Amino acid sequence: MNLPDWWKIDPCEPFVLGPREFPGRIWTASGCFAYGLTGHEISSRGFTSPYEGLGAVVSKTVTPMARTGNPMPRLCELPTGALNSIGLENVGFDEFLASVLPELERRGVPTVVSLAATRPDEFGVMVAALQMAGADYEHWHGVEINLSCPNVAEGGHDFGRDPETVARCVAAARKALPDRALLAKLTPNVADIASLAKAAAESGADAVSVINTVVGLEVDLTSGRPVLPRRYGGYSGPGVLPIALAKVDEIVQKAGVPVVGVGGIGGAQDALKFFALGAEAVQVGTAQMEDPFAAARIAADLSG
Amino acid sequence: MNRFETIPKTRRCQAFITINEPVSSGLIRLEIEVDQEMDFLPGQFAMLNLMGPRKRTFGRPFSILACSGNRVEFLYRVVGGGTGDLAGLKPGHPLTMLGPLGTPFPAPVPGQPAVLLAGGVGLPPVLAWWHRFSRTDDRAFFGARDPGDLPWDLLPVSWDASVDAQGETPVGRVAWQGLVTELAERELTGMDLPPSMVLACGPIPLLEAAGRFAEGRGWDCFVSMEEHMGCGYGACKGCVIPIRSDGQPEAEGRNATCCQEGPIFRAEEILWKQIR
Repeated sequence: MNLPDWWKIDPCEPFVLGPREFPGRIWTASGCFAYGLTGHEISSRGFTSPYEGLGAVVSKTVTPMARTGNPMPRLCELPTGALNSIGLENVGFDEFLASVLPELERRGVPTVVSLAATRPDEFGVMVAALQMAGADYEHWHGVEINLSCPNVAEGGHDFGRDPETVARCVAAARKALPDRALLAKLTPNVADIASLAKAAAESGADAVSVINTVVGLEVDLTSGRPVLPRRYGGYSGPGVLPIALAKVDEIVQKAGVPVVGVGGIGGAQDALKFFALGAEAVQVGTAQMEDPFAAARIAADLSG
Repeated sequence: MNRFETIPKTRRCQAFITINEPVSSGLIRLEIEVDQEMDFLPGQFAMLNLMGPRKRTFGRPFSILACSGNRVEFLYRVVGGGTGDLAGLKPGHPLTMLGPLGTPFPAPVPGQPAVLLAGGVGLPPVLAWWHRFSRTDDRAFFGARDPGDLPWDLLPVSWDASVDAQGETPVGRVAWQGLVTELAERELTGMDLPPSMVLACGPIPLLEAAGRFAEGRGWDCFVSMEEHMGCGYGACKGCVIPIRSDGQPEAEGRNATCCQEGPIFRAEEILWKQIR
């Protein structure tokens, strides 16, 4: 593809984020590529694996205990994306540590572990256990703390809306994570995202991942009721791209905090927009579900 | 489950439509040409999406009917906007395909006849199994709404057909009135059959009835489940089916991905009461 003149970076070259060197700048977003163990055997013309050229896979969010997730339907397709209400279904932290993380290391998947908790100190406990188990791991690059999953009943929602709580969660994780990157994933469902980013950075986050999904609702006109059993879902896909770009810009301009851009990226041009605003890296989410090679194609396209 | 040793490799392909024509009042036969040679096992599916302005956020799952070289065949019914768009397209229209995906029906077991049950748009995986594996002592039953809904040209003559409402049938073909499981019950009762294996695909009531039919005889039963899907390859956890958890009470079931652990499940492991 034709790349703009200002674009001088090779996103498949290593770059430094916090205390860590990542193999590249095109990542997959949490929740959209399982734990990074799915799809290794899928091929496509020009690619031997969907993991080719990826800088990191951000794992599906892991919680202290296993979760069965929300009732069906969990997805609602929209003309410009989708609402999801998966409900953080996951194998639980102990199982992740025992069987998933070692397998990611064995396969050489560059990994960022996404964690969610209900109390700030739980982040500290989980990160400390990760640090113990993965101290020698070469491919585990960092932790992304999920402060804003909007579809969990316990109010994961409000958790990430308060700068003080964000600061406490980040500080607890940072204390236990000396030599890996620490990212805080922020919700866009706030009036002042820059103050959240600032709170995260001042408490030790190396970057913020922006944005998580936008709270949304769809109504089934036949029944007159919301489509999703929990009414609200997380809106993602092409429709949130301008929202994500605006939030990233707000943070770069007002807080000067390093940003990993995420939200609505479908192709290389979308990714370039985040880089134009100053993002250090980008994450591909919803597009990865329709095409397991979405992120790999973007990495290849932007390498020139 | 009697698993296959090797499952065909999943590919993400560019494709274009070669055939998109009705074969009955409700079913449309779709054939596409993909950019690589393909193989599949009966029960597996593919995610299809349109290219261009009508591309959807997610592909749609279609059970694979047949596959030969670069050609892949499906049967579908218009159920919503995605399949509605597809039905209007002419040969040559570009698509993307991700497939084959999912866990197939089990392979035939020597000495264990198969009883195949299919209803409506549930025909493809069952017909695919028949074409690939059927032996002389296997039996197949297919149910549809009315004779016009039956794709007679695709239906092997040895299959028994049932309909909800009677109507005109082609010369030499017969459709019984009633449920397909009732027809199977009627045809097989009194026959001295060795323990058999039931393979079923169709609406939920049919699958549940197939499970009861097999359970009453102490037979194995495998059903092909359908769920709305996001990714189709286990990445999003958007298409789960509640199943029994080993050794746990029913309430302690777990969610299994329809796309990856399924779409073929043992009927007895599904928590039918929790299915919408």
